[in-house]
Amino acid sequence: MNKLIAEDGRTHIASTLMGESLVDRRVLARTQSEREVRILPDVALVSLGGQSIFDRGKGALLPLVDELAVVSKLHKMLVGVGGGTRVRHTLSIALDLGLPTGGIAQLVGAMEEANAVFLNALLAKHGSIVMPREHFWELPLYLETGMLPIVISTPPYHFWEPPTKGGPLPTHGSDFGLFIYAEVLGVERIIFVKDEDGLYTADPKKHPEATLIKKTTLGALLADMPEELILDRALFEAWKSSRHVRRVQIVNGLRKGELTRALAGEDVGTVIEKELS
Amino acid sequence: MSERNTIESRLGQDSLTSPTAGLPYDPAPMMPDVKVLKIGGQSMMDRGRSAIFPILDELVLAKDEHKLLVCCGGGTRARHIYAMASELELPTGVLAALGGYVPRQNARMLQMLLARHGGIFMLHDDFEKLPLYFRLGCIPIMTGMPPFGYWEKPAEGGRIPQHRTDAGVFLSAEVLGVKRAIFVKDEDGLFEDDPKKNPGAKHIPRIGAKELLARDLPDLVLERIVIEYLAIARSCHELQIINGLKKGLLTRALAGEDVGTIIYKD
Repeated sequence: MNKLIAEDGRTHIASTLMGESLVDRRVLARTQSEREVRILPDVALVSLGGQSIFDRGKGALLPLVDELAVVSKLHKMLVGVGGGTRVRHTLSIALDLGLPTGGIAQLVGAMEEANAVFLNALLAKHGSIVMPREHFWELPLYLETGMLPIVISTPPYHFWEPPTKGGPLPTHGSDFGLFIYAEVLGVERIIFVKDEDGLYTADPKKHPEATLIKKTTLGALLADMPEELILDRALFEAWKSSRHVRRVQIVNGLRKGELTRALAGEDVGTVIEKELS
Repeated sequence: MSERNTIESRLGQDSLTSPTAGLPYDPAPMMPDVKVLKIGGQSMMDRGRSAIFPILDELVLAKDEHKLLVCCGGGTRARHIYAMASELELPTGVLAALGGYVPRQNARMLQMLLARHGGIFMLHDDFEKLPLYFRLGCIPIMTGMPPFGYWEKPAEGGRIPQHRTDAGVFLSAEVLGVKRAIFVKDEDGLFEDDPKKNPGAKHIPRIGAKELLARDLPDLVLERIVIEYLAIARSCHELQIINGLKKGLLTRALAGEDVGTIIYKD
């Protein structure tokens, strides 16, 4: 079946991409598909904000821990966490030192991992477990045994963080990292737990007149993107070409029960949906 | 209600979602004198001994004069993996993770051949040990693939990962503060058409990244995303593509000569 071909001095294995330039758009188009495998369907991903939830400490965190302990028994889900104020401090110092973009990206993930450990210490008795990235394929094991995996949010771009037009700070943060985690697993919905009722037309902490966007589509949002966002810009950019994530919801974790309602499928907070093409 | 407990800093209250172009920033390069180079997969490794041995001889002669970071491409086994994974309808992130195996194998092959000259295989996690390897006179060898793996973004127009070994090599040079990355392939550089299919195609010795992108060619000599990054890069401002099958070109490129094709930030 498999043939080795060495006519041009290079030894090729026969395949549909044999000898091809993987840069050629015509070749790439042959790998397009509308029916990509969903690795873990029926799983939801929940993200707890760093600055918005963790940095508020006990008052904000403990009620959510109680809620997670209950809802994690009702739904198959993964949890991710943000890094919060320590990330911002890291970035400020790194910028002042003139560290390269990739070097800064290498640093920030540690602050998020610390929050994952905090959460795990509180939720372990309810079956949570911190998932190192290398244990990617152990996820089904934990989900099947009813555990609650806490995944690392920052994507492992590290020293290889790409440059951007905008400035030296890394753009692939924890919101993006969780989005891409959901996408590769074929997870359809992500719920971001923050300290606002959702996405506003401007940052409501600075602009009290800003209005809440209750329900929108990715297309509508991209056409009229607010200057300040509650989620990483890179998330929306990546969502454009993603195949699986259908629904991103932002709820207020300071209101008891909102996360539970969102997981049950209710339209609380802001719901952004991607139109089926 | 509990308040946010924040550390005072320049970005203390920032949502980090707005562009940060205005912030004062004076970059401190990590190791600008390293020579970052890529040995092509399909173009070099898949040719075996006849192509690889002469290149390694040149590397060994250069290693005491230059700090060499050698990165490897994938080649035909990577194409076989991508073709299989595409047929099985697997997502891009899985393709990227699977595509990582082959350049790692190639890096290990080169390490075995260069071991007696100080060749040392390194993982992404060993990147911070580069100063040690250079201090010891080693030739660190790693995969060209960046560590994105399952976290690779899906791309429009196909499912092959956008960041492959060219991207990893460029990004390694960018973070180290290296001005020029060298790509060793089996062609003299960039041509106006594929020289393998059209032997009369005209060679392009020098071209700007934006100019090249504006030509909107269906095929390119390097991964498209690398040219896009080059246009906005902070440190790595030149990509040099040379023909590794022609003896002496690598040595001349390492000496800073403009052989092959230079794609520059314009």
